[in-house]
Amino acid sequence: MAGVDDVFGDIFSSVDAIMLFGPSGSYYERFTTGEDSDVVVVGTENDVGAETFVELPLEFDEVSERVRFGIEGALEQDVIDDGDDLACATSVFSDDIDTVSRVRADADAHTGIYDLFAKSRAEPAVIKSVLELAIELGKKGQKGKPVGALFIVGDAGKVMNKSRPLSYNPFEKSHVHVGDPIVNVMLKEFSRLDGAFVISDAGKLVSAYRYLEPSAEGVDIPKGLGARHMAGGAITRDTNAIAIVLSESDGLVRAFKAGELILEVDPEAY
Amino acid sequence: MEWQTLIDEPAVIAAAVLALGLVVGYLVGRLNKELLSASGVPDAVEGTPFERTAQSLGTSTVEIVARLSSWFIYGIAVLTAIHIAQLLDTDAFWFEVTQYLPQVFIAVLVLILGFIIADKAELIVSEYLRSVKLPEVSVIPRLVKYAVLYVAFLIALGQIGVYVLPLLILLAVIATGAVVVGTFAFKDFLVSSAAGIYLLLNQPYGIGDRIRIGDQAGIVQEVDLFVTKIEDDSEEYIVPNRKVFEEEIVRVRE
Repeated sequence: MAGVDDVFGDIFSSVDAIMLFGPSGSYYERFTTGEDSDVVVVGTENDVGAETFVELPLEFDEVSERVRFGIEGALEQDVIDDGDDLACATSVFSDDIDTVSRVRADADAHTGIYDLFAKSRAEPAVIKSVLELAIELGKKGQKGKPVGALFIVGDAGKVMNKSRPLSYNPFEKSHVHVGDPIVNVMLKEFSRLDGAFVISDAGKLVSAYRYLEPSAEGVDIPKGLGARHMAGGAITRDTNAIAIVLSESDGLVRAFKAGELILEVDPEAY
Repeated sequence: MEWQTLIDEPAVIAAAVLALGLVVGYLVGRLNKELLSASGVPDAVEGTPFERTAQSLGTSTVEIVARLSSWFIYGIAVLTAIHIAQLLDTDAFWFEVTQYLPQVFIAVLVLILGFIIADKAELIVSEYLRSVKLPEVSVIPRLVKYAVLYVAFLIALGQIGVYVLPLLILLAVIATGAVVVGTFAFKDFLVSSAAGIYLLLNQPYGIGDRIRIGDQAGIVQEVDLFVTKIEDDSEEYIVPNRKVFEEEIVRVRE
């Protein structure tokens, strides 16, 4: 079987860094003791206490998404350089690491997916919970029927000034924050309301039922998406907010920043 | 007649007392254990570090307390036996010991109780504070624990006759010091949070309103307990809530 080592050895020979996606503690130990190239741990949480760690906002199911996000985050944090050859070890079929792929870090292929979390106005944890909420909502729908929803996160003061109420704001004088246990249930009920949810930088639910009035000039979103996406995308161009949209028709969750589509995930895959 | 002389012999009486003491001590220990178990003490102390330490030593809180009462009675029996046998013929010693032994017993009991109550209080307070999402809050349960421990130590020391007044004075000084320094250091925070509570409850302005506080004008971006964030075109002002009351709030309407 020496031939197999030769052939597959090319995949991880002379790499500049090794990226471990969600390794277990003992797996990580084996790398730090034996290996002398850089080890970068990527995961939703730094369970293994690694020195160089890139946080994933979601457990991306799509491997290429996961790897791309990890690399973009690592580039952003300067733990790897443009043009580095990386061995990315991740899990595809089981919970343990079972796959290695060789990827070249390319700073030009920047999609902004990492910026969406790390460099937005709102706190990363807030964006993460809203995204999880949208995915949850997309998975279950409201009483089994698919629902659409539009969340505008961050820069709430400006967003409020570029929108008007469609009806009474159910969150008037309330102090509900994204991430509170009650919120999922509440939003599931409120998701039948028309209009957008406005969420502040710190995660406060400012309003529901908002009709967004941005100028839609120059917004470039894929054709075929409806008014909800257009409104969400456009407001992110006018303000520093980001928009997280759950589509009613195709059930996908999309995130917009600065008028551009940054992230597209299928809730069914999580 | 031989029986009579035998019974009158102090050594025999002493031995009898000793034996009786051992039996009674053992029985009291068992009884205590049963009583404590029946009254739900094991459930109450479960999860406290004291209980865990006891478990790791192969025993339990209930057992320790029961053992303690046994030892107490053993101790009394031994001393009585010594007295009867007149091994140590000093009334003064006897007097001291009878005074001292119950106190030591109570002191140890108070200490054990203190440890358990302290641990329990820590657990309850941290449970209560769990919904408060501030890492700094974890100090408070520990503070409660050590306060309870301190008081327990004071009581225990007082029991065995240690002069505790200086310690009490120390406690008072620390407490007043903490309060005084706290109010000085956190004065602005306290005033701001008082104002913040009003702002959060009444919401004279909300996110998205255009307001002016003193010289700073802009759109409200965030209102929390301590500060209000106002943003105009280029700058974001973070205004302490006490300012909101010192200067007036102007709601700007076009």
